[in-house]
This record gives sequence, C-alpha cells and structure tokens, in this order.
Amino acid sequence: MVVYKVSGNTFQIVACPPEDLRKGDYLLVRDSVLNRSLIIQVINTEYANVPGLLEDILRESSTEQIVGTELDILEMKTYMDMIKDAQLFTCKIRKSIINGTVNDDISWTPNRTTSRLVHVRDEDLMKLAGIGGDPSIKVGKTRSGAEVSTMLKDYDGCLNIVAGKKGSGKSHLAKLLLLGLISNGGVCVVFDINGEYINLGRDSGGRTGEFNEKIIAFTPGFNFKVTLQYIGLGVVLSLMSSVVDLPPSSASEFRQIWKQLESSSQLTLHKLRVAIGSIKNDFIREALIRRFDTLLSTNFFTDDQTEALTLEGIFSQLSKGGALVIDLSKTAPMFRKMIVEFVLRKLSYLLERWVLRAVFLFAEEAHLYLRETYWEDVVTRMRHLGLFATFVTNQPDSVDHGIYRQADNIFLFNFTNENDLSVVSRATMVDVDTINIIAKELSPRHCLMLGKVVKGFPLIVKVNPLQVRTMGETRLFFVNLIK
Amino acid sequence: MELIELTNSYPEELVKLGYETLERVSRSSFPPQRLIDIEEEDSFYHFELGDDSRQITPIMLHLSGDVRPVFGVDTSSIDLGETVNGILFAVRGSVVWRDLGKYQYVRHGPFIFHISEKDRRHLFKLLRKEYLNDMSRITAPSLEWISGSFRSILERWLQRQIAESCEHCLLLWDGSMTAVAVFNPTSFLSKMLKTARENGNCILAFSKKTKLMVSGSRVNSLIRDSWVPCLVNIDSAVRKQYGNRLRFLGRVYAAKFEPGLLTFRVDIDRKIPEDEGIKAVESLINSDRVNDSYPETLRLAHVLSRFSASEVLAMQRYVAENHGLRIVSRFGVRQILFGPYGGKSGFSEVMGQIDGSL
Repeated sequence: MVVYKVSGNTFQIVACPPEDLRKGDYLLVRDSVLNRSLIIQVINTEYANVPGLLEDILRESSTEQIVGTELDILEMKTYMDMIKDAQLFTCKIRKSIINGTVNDDISWTPNRTTSRLVHVRDEDLMKLAGIGGDPSIKVGKTRSGAEVSTMLKDYDGCLNIVAGKKGSGKSHLAKLLLLGLISNGGVCVVFDINGEYINLGRDSGGRTGEFNEKIIAFTPGFNFKVTLQYIGLGVVLSLMSSVVDLPPSSASEFRQIWKQLESSSQLTLHKLRVAIGSIKNDFIREALIRRFDTLLSTNFFTDDQTEALTLEGIFSQLSKGGALVIDLSKTAPMFRKMIVEFVLRKLSYLLERWVLRAVFLFAEEAHLYLRETYWEDVVTRMRHLGLFATFVTNQPDSVDHGIYRQADNIFLFNFTNENDLSVVSRATMVDVDTINIIAKELSPRHCLMLGKVVKGFPLIVKVNPLQVRTMGETRLFFVNLIK
Repeated sequence: MELIELTNSYPEELVKLGYETLERVSRSSFPPQRLIDIEEEDSFYHFELGDDSRQITPIMLHLSGDVRPVFGVDTSSIDLGETVNGILFAVRGSVVWRDLGKYQYVRHGPFIFHISEKDRRHLFKLLRKEYLNDMSRITAPSLEWISGSFRSILERWLQRQIAESCEHCLLLWDGSMTAVAVFNPTSFLSKMLKTARENGNCILAFSKKTKLMVSGSRVNSLIRDSWVPCLVNIDSAVRKQYGNRLRFLGRVYAAKFEPGLLTFRVDIDRKIPEDEGIKAVESLINSDRVNDSYPETLRLAHVLSRFSASEVLAMQRYVAENHGLRIVSRFGVRQILFGPYGGKSGFSEVMGQIDGSL
C-alpha cells in the first residue's frame, strides 16, 4: 500500500496486491523521518483506475464465448489479475500520533515515498484511543471480532442520538444502553411509544429476568394516575393551553377556581368540575367544561390517594438503578404530549431540588409527543440540571438541526435515503462523506458509532444481542407460512 | 485439427531464452517504457498505381464457396522498459480457429526478454536457427527493432505449426507474403507455403495498413460498394513497381467483402492457381464471419495477442518480483528542457502516476 494523493483531510491509498481492508478500517501512515503517524480511516473502497483496464474488459467480453487455452508458461495471469484488482482506498484523517500519544494535530503531511502504511487492528486502535475501560457498557463487536465497550463517563452529561431506518436495530441498541446504564446504578426514564420496553424485566423466554426489579413500567390512565395537588396548577394550565387550546381568558377563570379550592383544601376532580359548571359566563363555562372533561377522559387524574402515584415514590424504588418505563402505546396521540410534559416538568422540579441526582431519558420518536419548543429545553436547560437525553428516531429530519450539532454521541444505523443522511451529516463530529458512504451500507444490527464514546474515532460495531424480552420486532401474519 | 495438438507444443526455446536473459539482468533497475504496441508494419511500402489501373476490372466473388475450417494467427510485442545495457520487452501470439461454427483459441505467452547490445546478435541468430531454420548471415536488428524481430519469429513459428498440422483449411496471416531478409526469410516462407499447399491448405494474408494509392487516391475508392464482395488484382502493378527490390510470394489483391470504407490488401499464395485462390476467398466469406471486410478469426487473434496497459504493469511487476528488477521513474528529457511546454501523452502521464505505486 502506498499513498497516492492527499487533499484536505482525505487520503487516497493504492493497494496492489489488493488488501483485505473494508470501510471503517483504520490505517496508520507512519512517517519514520518525522517520527509521527497519522491515523486514517477507510471510508470508501474502489478499483484503482489502472490504465488499459477498459481495454481488458472489452477484450474479455468479446472473447468470453470462445473456448480457449492459455499457454501462460510464466503464470502471468496471477500478476494481471492482481493489477486488475488493484484497489483505491479513500480515507479520512482522524487523529495523529506524536511522541507516542494520540494528538489532534493533523495539520502536517507525511512523506509520500518514505511513509509506511500499516493496517491497525481494532483492538490496537481501541487501546491507542482509550476506548473502553471500566466502568463501561459492552456495546458489541467490530467486524474483526474485537469487543467494543463504551465508558459510562462518556454518557454522563451527554446528549445521544440513535438514528436509523426501520428495522435497522436502533431500538435494540437503545435497550442495550438502557440496561447498561441501570446495571451500573443509572436512573432512567423511557417514553415508550410502542410498548417495547415494558418487558425488559423478563428474559427472552418470558420468565422473570435479571432486570425484573429494575424495570418499572406504568401505563398512564391505567396504573399511572396522579392527583391534582401533585400535578399542580402550573402544569395543568400549561397542559390545558398546549394540549386542548384553552384561551387565556378561560385560563384566568380556571386559575381563580383552582386557587380557591386549593386554599380551602377542597381540590378534587369533582369539586373542580362543579365549580367550573357554576361559572356565569356561558362562553367561558362551556369552554372550560369541554376541555376539563377532555382531560378527565384520559383517566390520568384521580382523587383516590391509594391509586395515585408520585415520581418521587417511583424513583425511591429505583435508588440502586432502574428505569421508569412510561408506556405511551395505549395513550391517544394528543394526550401523549400531556403525559410527557407533565413528566418532564416534574423531573425538572425534582432535579432542581436535588431529589434526583441525574436522570437518563430515553425518547423514541420524540417528535410524536414533544413540542418543538421543548426540544431546546431538554438539551440545554434540563441537561444542566441533570437530564441526559437519548433520542431514538427513524426520521432524522424530525429532530431539530441544533440538536445534531449539540449531540455528544451518535449511533448511526443504516439509512439509504439521501435526505435522511444529509440531516444526520450536520452533526459536527464527523465529515459528510463518512456518513454518506458508510451509513448507506451498514448491515442490520450494525451501527456507526461517533463521538465521545469512541473518542472521536468512528467505529462500525455489530450490536450485541440482548437476553431480555425486547418486543421490538414487528408482528407478522404469515409467520407460519414463511419458513 | 484438435485443440490438443495446438496446446501440446509451445516455443520451449523462447521460454528458456527469455528466462536466461532476465536472470542475467537481475537486481538492476529500469524506467517503465511508454506504451507503444509494436507490431510488424506489414506494408510500409507505399504503392502508387499508374493511371492504367483504372482499367482493372473487379473479380466478383460468389457466396457459394465450400465451408472449411479457418485459422488465424497474430502476434504482438511491447517494450516494457530499458535497462542500463539493454531493453526489456514481451511478445505474445494467438491462434484462433473457427470450425463447425465455433471459435476456439490458443494463446502463447507472454514471453519476456531482456536483450542487451552484447548478446543481441547471438540471441537473434540462435532463435532464427531454432525457429526459422535459417543460418544465413543476416545482420541482427538494432535494439530498437529487436522486439519486433522476436515477435516475428514467434509468429512464423505459430504459422508453421498451423501449416504443418492442418489439412484442407484456410490459414489467415496478419500481414503480407512479401519476403524481407530480416523478418521473413524467403526460404522459410517458401517452405511454409509449400507445406501448407501439400496439406491442401490455402494461406491468405490480410494487411490492415496498406496504403495503396491510385493516381493520388486511396485504393479504398477503387472498389465501388456495388461490386462487393470482390477482389481487384493489383499484382502486376505492384510487382512492376517493386519487383526487383522485394520478393512477392503471394499474388496481391485489393479486397472488399462488404460495402463500407474499408478495403484490404490480400496476398494469396502465388503457387496456387489463381481461380483456386479466388475460390479460397469465396470459401472464407462462407466459412468465417466477416465484419468490415475483415475476417473475424484474424480480428480475434489480434485482440487476444495485443497487450493492454494493465498487462504491461503486470509484467513489470513480474520482472520486479521474480528477477529483482526495480522500476524507477523515467528521465524525461523533454520535460526537463521545456517544462510545461514539453508536451507528453496522456497515456504516459497516467503511467507515471501509477508506476511508482505498484
């Protein structure tokens, strides 16, 4: 292998005979004169544009129907095949090694003729880069079989994005990360849009599993209800205006009624309903009744203290690590927003008061239940309070552009759509070519890991299987017919 | 003729000689050669026919000739580079035949040689003796032309194999039947034609590069499309002009088998009666595919023997790996003298880029 061209941070390497290098593999360009090396990553492989190749192909195609004998005494065909198979690898510079340590200085160019190219084994790269180490989450294996572990500290205080098209394995990875965090004492909240996290406490056979005590699943309106006192006026008013479009004049009337009932310790659903019904202004009364009844229809509110829950109570059960899974799969779309906003507000309240130290939030397809204005709040203000989000999506354009720029880690699964890739490529942690070329060709369950977890060295990883009941697979009708 | 007969024999001496010459030059360095395929310029004679040639009448060909096996032979050589004291080149040859509607081929080579000024004469003599059975005192060509002469020897060897082993076939040669001392010794050619005749074969030689002219016009315009397929006998006119200087072992015709731009010079063994030769051409049209008035067997033989740029790279790598020859960048006099105004072909530029890396 030799350096053919260098342009910007792109290297072109010619290999003849062809090398067993694949997209994602790493090479070291070692300049012994400068005593420095560049760490470069293969992002594309193609045949070298060897002169005469087209002529060879045309000749072979015009004689392929003819039976022939080659009296090739010198066995030149081996060499000719080798030349025809000469490869051109396009590589991106990731970092350098100066004085034996990994360095960000890539402003220099190694000597073209004296530099030597060495294939870096995945194990060596990870050791060199400092990827892994305790405590960590075992994410998977590289194609060569090297185990990839990501350090917990690289998730702490970080914003993560898991993106990939349907069926690529993104939810699977999200579950693996979730279980990894709670295994190490992390407290997590999951907005489970498809009800696929609720059985993580069970093993793959459906029996009580290792995480049974650590996964607490609730379904709003069924086993997850709150009292009006707990939810508070601010949240209810916010929900009524954002979810059921309560006009400001009606909100003012509602606030007065709420405060009166609260001051007299008579704040119950029934008394609130009666008080609204006694408003003299017909328009306001009707507007409030209709919206209040809509809220009540969710069954999320209760006056019964025995069936009411508090997040503080739930988190107290998860003090040694665990996940609160909020199953939104049975909740009507318009009320998902209500539930999610309530939970986020409460989490923010608890974090501000140090009731909780920090929470890892897993949000699948968050655009389905989170208002755009809330995105910024989650990734900026709430992040500083200790809410560390992991967004999981198959619609990259549904995630605000700013979020990609602020992401610390991206786990990118297969995408074939150019528009999807162009959105993801806005992440500042890697070049556009790497995303556009590699992400298109990722196999199912393989992801391109970018960011802090891989110390800035993009890695292609086959995600480990899970020994729990994931329920993420699509239900099939012809399952018995197609074997 | 069976495939096995052709594949059983190979130019053993040529292989041995090539290996020995490479061993002698081991572990030196050479600059890669510009890619020019050196083929015998089979008709580098410029024919100017007199005005009376306008009176020549075409020989109309009938498409009812008998179907016979057709064999075509072609070879090529290419320079791979130069060393301090010699030249490195390769030769390759192909035999293609069509029988019962199917094409088959045998390809010999490539054979790689390193010939120095010191052993040029000796090796040339040795090969002529071995393959052409020619022991006359012919001056060996200069290094510049040596690859062409080795190619020619391989070609004659292949042609002889076919002439000796085929019966009642049409044997197509690339080039002419003009005897030239260095490339085509008269005695060897005559003997080969005789052997072919005795086996009931007929040899037809097709020249691609003849520049026959009639009163300043190319011979292409001599044959009207409405006459095709036809031959025009230009033998007497050609012989009148060159008769004393060259030995024509074939009767010379201009041939056009299909309407279009191309007309070829065809030489037919002079010792075969003229009508028999014409019947052989008619048989060829019936026995082989003809595209643009050129027989497919010969086209395939040419395609198979020609070297491509990637094959040159492969052979350069072969000598580097097996004989320790190191490829170094070419010293470009024009570039040094004239810089960007020196001019260079795109081909050699590409070669320069890739050579250093392979």
